[in-house]
Amino acid sequence: MKLRDFILRRVLLAITVVFGVLTITWILAFIVGDPVTMYINENTPAEAIPAIRAAHGFDEPWPVQYFLYLSNLFQGNWGVSGSSSNMPVLEILALKFPATIELAIVAMIFAIILGIPLGIISATRKDQKIDHFTRIFSLAGVSMPIFWFAFMLKYVLYYYLAVNNLPHLPGGERYDTSTYLDFEFITGFLLLDSLIQGNIPIFLDGLVHLIMPGFALGYLTLAIITRMMRSSMLEVLKEDYITLARSKGLREKVVIYRHALRNAMIPTVTVIGLAFGGLITGAVLTETIFNWPGLGRWAVRSILFADLAAINGFTLLVAIIFVTANLIVDLIYGVLDPRIRFG
Amino acid sequence: MTESREDIVLEVHDLFTNFYTFEGTVRALDGVELFLRRGDTMGLVGETGCGKSVTARSILRLVEPPGKIESGKIIYNEIDKQTGEVKPIDILSLSEEELLDLRGEKIAIVFQDPATYPNPVFRIGDQIAEVVLLHQDLRYDVIDMKIEKLEKSLQGESDPDKQVHIKEKIEYYRELRKDPPEPDKKDAKAAAFRRAVNMLNLVRMPSPESIAMQYPHELSGGMRQRALIAMALACDPGVLICDEATTALDVTVQAQVLKLLNHLKKEIGTSIIIITHDMGVVAETCNWVTVMYAGTTVESCATKNLFTRPLHPYTDGLLTAVPKLHENKERLPQILGSVPNLITPPSGCRFHPRCAYATEQCKSVKPKLTELEPEHWVACHNPLN
Repeated sequence: MKLRDFILRRVLLAITVVFGVLTITWILAFIVGDPVTMYINENTPAEAIPAIRAAHGFDEPWPVQYFLYLSNLFQGNWGVSGSSSNMPVLEILALKFPATIELAIVAMIFAIILGIPLGIISATRKDQKIDHFTRIFSLAGVSMPIFWFAFMLKYVLYYYLAVNNLPHLPGGERYDTSTYLDFEFITGFLLLDSLIQGNIPIFLDGLVHLIMPGFALGYLTLAIITRMMRSSMLEVLKEDYITLARSKGLREKVVIYRHALRNAMIPTVTVIGLAFGGLITGAVLTETIFNWPGLGRWAVRSILFADLAAINGFTLLVAIIFVTANLIVDLIYGVLDPRIRFG
Repeated sequence: MTESREDIVLEVHDLFTNFYTFEGTVRALDGVELFLRRGDTMGLVGETGCGKSVTARSILRLVEPPGKIESGKIIYNEIDKQTGEVKPIDILSLSEEELLDLRGEKIAIVFQDPATYPNPVFRIGDQIAEVVLLHQDLRYDVIDMKIEKLEKSLQGESDPDKQVHIKEKIEYYRELRKDPPEPDKKDAKAAAFRRAVNMLNLVRMPSPESIAMQYPHELSGGMRQRALIAMALACDPGVLICDEATTALDVTVQAQVLKLLNHLKKEIGTSIIIITHDMGVVAETCNWVTVMYAGTTVESCATKNLFTRPLHPYTDGLLTAVPKLHENKERLPQILGSVPNLITPPSGCRFHPRCAYATEQCKSVKPKLTELEPEHWVACHNPLN
């Protein structure tokens, strides 16, 4: 099978999955609530309600409503979010998405840059001091709930240090909004925008603001990657081809980083892909704790207000991200393992 | 062993290797004695678990934890290509760094299972080129490759001006070849890959260029085994150890590989150790045999001698247990008893509980490998005949 066919097949599969997700969320939304409630309030006269219902097509039979929903969706009309002063959902998503993605990417960078080397070191120095330390560190990561860990982090690195007049990390927000009042976003990515504008102080400020929420969000993924990397590395190091590599007279470093790493990366990459989707949903808690103006916090509020259009929109976006992350994983697979490309 | 160092390429003396397991210490090798003459093909035979593979791995110091080489001497006698002087290398006292020069370059090994030994994520050619790049001087190869390329372009060139220019370039490289500079990484890699293709050609791989670009899973078992042999022979090692290299193959492919090994031995001048439990393979390919039993060397002699005049009771038992075509038997004779547990090995001679000729002495004193008859070494208190 050629790479092009492989990608094409995977993309078709991905579209099917996204379609399934949006159908299920629509059905759930259709069951649980009357969508018209978002368009009326206590002052709306009762006799006006059927007209409003008709205006949005809510009086049609369900297949027609489903068709209307789909046709609107594909025309870029994802409905309006009643809980955000009737702004179009797509617009809000575009507005809030960069903040969440920026946080998720930083979390991912933490997780990958620390997780993979920690896993390798832990595996190659099995049962030594550093391995014990790494195992405790990663066990803590998978065991601690994010809402508790993020609070503790904030308590120590922000509150505790601040009350003792020590240098401390900022407690929330993307940047110091009171100092940089006139900052204008272009793409919505703070680090990118500040670099484009040549504003180094705000770039550094943004970085400092990302450290704590980024680490809090990434710790779980970091722990998962470390454990996965360790176990698959241990598995691979027992393989016959490692003995063969050693028998060739290759240095231990080359044996580990060339022959073993590539094989050990295959299961780890799966975990990374799945975890990236998880980071977006994990951001719901982290963003709430760190007052992060991203999608997660907005989604929590939409749920509290039973804002169906907003919830549908958020779910769809998460589904698309999940599917895309998996697609990328599949492609990386093909690069790492020649057996998959043709299999 | 009184021979000079020139004749013997590899000698193993009194080698002890243990494995530290939960059940106890497995005394896998208990004073193994071996020697391999230059240009010989030696068969190393014995039952499963008698320590053949551990011996092979010990020679390259590839015994992995919980295994550990306890004591002994393994000496590789290297002949300097320029001066012809013999330089003994004591393998067990080499540092990790020095060991890297030994593995793959002086002693190479072909492992048993062609399905699991090649790395699945690298091309065959790259896996062979890797070992060439590591050990071989590629300076001449790089220049030769450049000259070859220019000559090829010269043939396709009609413009006389350009022809002169190319000829000048060729002259320049010919001059450079007398004292070639260190090649850059990319050139060296290309040269190593070219050698890999040559090696594949040498092991009679059909269309070696395309095989070199393929991954292990795209080849058949026999082809993979040949690729592994090519990998092992890529640096013209002084000793090639084939650890059951043909056991996983079917009989026809096995015959091809064995024929290939014998042919390559003449071409490259490598001495070979063939580890097997198949007496047929030994009879066909080896001129010398060493028999192992439960971690010890019991007999070592020329193949013909072994088959006609075995001196050790174990070897004798082994040979009578081989079915013969011209005999009609209900049941094959067997060696009574079973292989001892090496955590609690028998005292004295490890074979004594199963030996019909055992005496009191055998229970307490371990026999030494001695030259009982000329060119025939046996470790037994009561040898046959």
